[in-house]
Amino acid sequence: MLNIKVLGPGCANCRKLEEVAREAVAQAGVPAEIEKVTDLQAIMAFDVLKTPGLVINGKLMSSGRIPAAGTVAEWIREAG
Amino acid sequence: MDALFPWLLPVLYGGIGNLAAYLAAHVLLCLLPAFFIAGAMSALIPRQTVTRFLGRNSSKAVSYPAAVAAGSLLAVCSCTIVPLFAGIYKKGAGLGPAITFLFFAPAANILALVYTGGVLGADLALARFFLSMVFGVGIGLIMALLFRADDEAHDQASDTLFAAAAGEGLQHVVLLFLGAWVALLLAGTLKVGALTGAYVHVALPLEAARDWQATLDWLVPYDAAKGEEGVSLQGMVLILLLPAIGVCAWQGLENIQEGVNGWTRATLTLTWATLLFAALSVQPMDGGLRIGLTGKFFGVAACLAVIHFIAWRRLAAEALQDWLWESWRFVKQIFPLLVLGVFLVGMMRVVIRPEWIEAVAGSNSVVGNLAGVAFGVFMYFPTLVEVPIAHMFLDLGMHRGPLLAYLMSDPELSLQSILIISAIIGRAKTAAYVGLVALFSAVAGLTYGAWVDGVSQVLLAFGLAAFIGALAVLIAVLSRRPHSLKGI
Repeated sequence: MLNIKVLGPGCANCRKLEEVAREAVAQAGVPAEIEKVTDLQAIMAFDVLKTPGLVINGKLMSSGRIPAAGTVAEWIREAG
Repeated sequence: MDALFPWLLPVLYGGIGNLAAYLAAHVLLCLLPAFFIAGAMSALIPRQTVTRFLGRNSSKAVSYPAAVAAGSLLAVCSCTIVPLFAGIYKKGAGLGPAITFLFFAPAANILALVYTGGVLGADLALARFFLSMVFGVGIGLIMALLFRADDEAHDQASDTLFAAAAGEGLQHVVLLFLGAWVALLLAGTLKVGALTGAYVHVALPLEAARDWQATLDWLVPYDAAKGEEGVSLQGMVLILLLPAIGVCAWQGLENIQEGVNGWTRATLTLTWATLLFAALSVQPMDGGLRIGLTGKFFGVAACLAVIHFIAWRRLAAEALQDWLWESWRFVKQIFPLLVLGVFLVGMMRVVIRPEWIEAVAGSNSVVGNLAGVAFGVFMYFPTLVEVPIAHMFLDLGMHRGPLLAYLMSDPELSLQSILIISAIIGRAKTAAYVGLVALFSAVAGLTYGAWVDGVSQVLLAFGLAAFIGALAVLIAVLSRRPHSLKGI
């Protein structure tokens, strides 16, 4: 199963990214769990300077912006 | 109920009147562009242009100015401030520049500066910017010195975070885009004859205009002697345009990640129309309205043409979407609280007696400045609401010195920010930081207040030098002790 992490202390952008990620998972049709990471130390471990960040299977895919659901679905298919 | 009503009514009118005044043309002309500029900075300036100077190996002469630049260019909300602060502290240039960044960001980001300038005057905005910069670097240096043992012992983690992506530079088109917005802001807000004067007049035969204005004056009574503005016909149209923009934006910008749609175009068109309309001069006259095409109007129109061209023709689709999303997010996050804040401030203003304010902070005294700082520390207002609050104090007779002390301490120190900081750097360092901010805010207020009162600049420079000298001696004495303070 795919592991997707949404990095962010809980600001508006992080909630939005979580929505986008859920939609992307539905689009891709790949079983995946979405995990919210709010702890700052854990976020720092991914070398993120601007939230929100998106991590798929341990790899940082984007940070500081909200990608389109279609793009995220593409990433999920590639990883899955 | 009957007894309560006569007391409540003026208070309610105070709130509505204040709100109307803040949604008037001159405030919209600074606030709307400011949101778009903040969005552009947040979405279009690659962080690496600034953060690569914040690595562990940068010298002090590079990292402190870079921290200042990061504060004003990159940090408009907590989404950026908190991770950047933690990043600079843990993996980058260390405690000093991190503190400088933290101090400078809330006082000198584009929204705060523009709004302060538009509402309270350019001199206060400049003083806020300049003194925050000087004192921000000062506090950073002191903190780095006080806790230098901690900084040395800090994890020697690689600074790949900062060194890595130096490739992506700032594009020329983005620079031009930001320039056009800043030009629009200046054209809309500068009080220069060439801009405020009208060149072409158009008479609009609208018989009912006078009655409408009379109705508005009756609905929102105002007292010109007290500096109240009331609602003009122009203001009413602007107030009606805002919710229209809001409705379009909800459809067109809320899911902008999925692409631009018709609502998006409608939102931008309405926004441009609002800006242009706000730049007109509209006066009721016999049998109609007299509409003046001001220098402002032509300036705003020219800038909008450039902005429109760049946005649709030169920016990549992704960049355009990011820009619109960030701008919309700022509006969503800040504007509703600002409107509510302005309304409440207007109600408070009716209740607070000017004598109270004058007694405490009517002159540029040490007590007055400390009172300004204390109010700033214990009150927490949402972003930007500190400005209408300061405006109210100014109207009620507060001296500009203590006012600046309040403006500097309020956004820096709130319970929320103190909690976040202490989670990252520990309680001892947080206590030192809070103390220093309070001290420096009071000194900033005193300095600016003395300047307003006409104390000679030589004397002021001498006083500031003496203050910094005394601090330097104190730190030198402290640093001679073998063990410097340790944070937790």
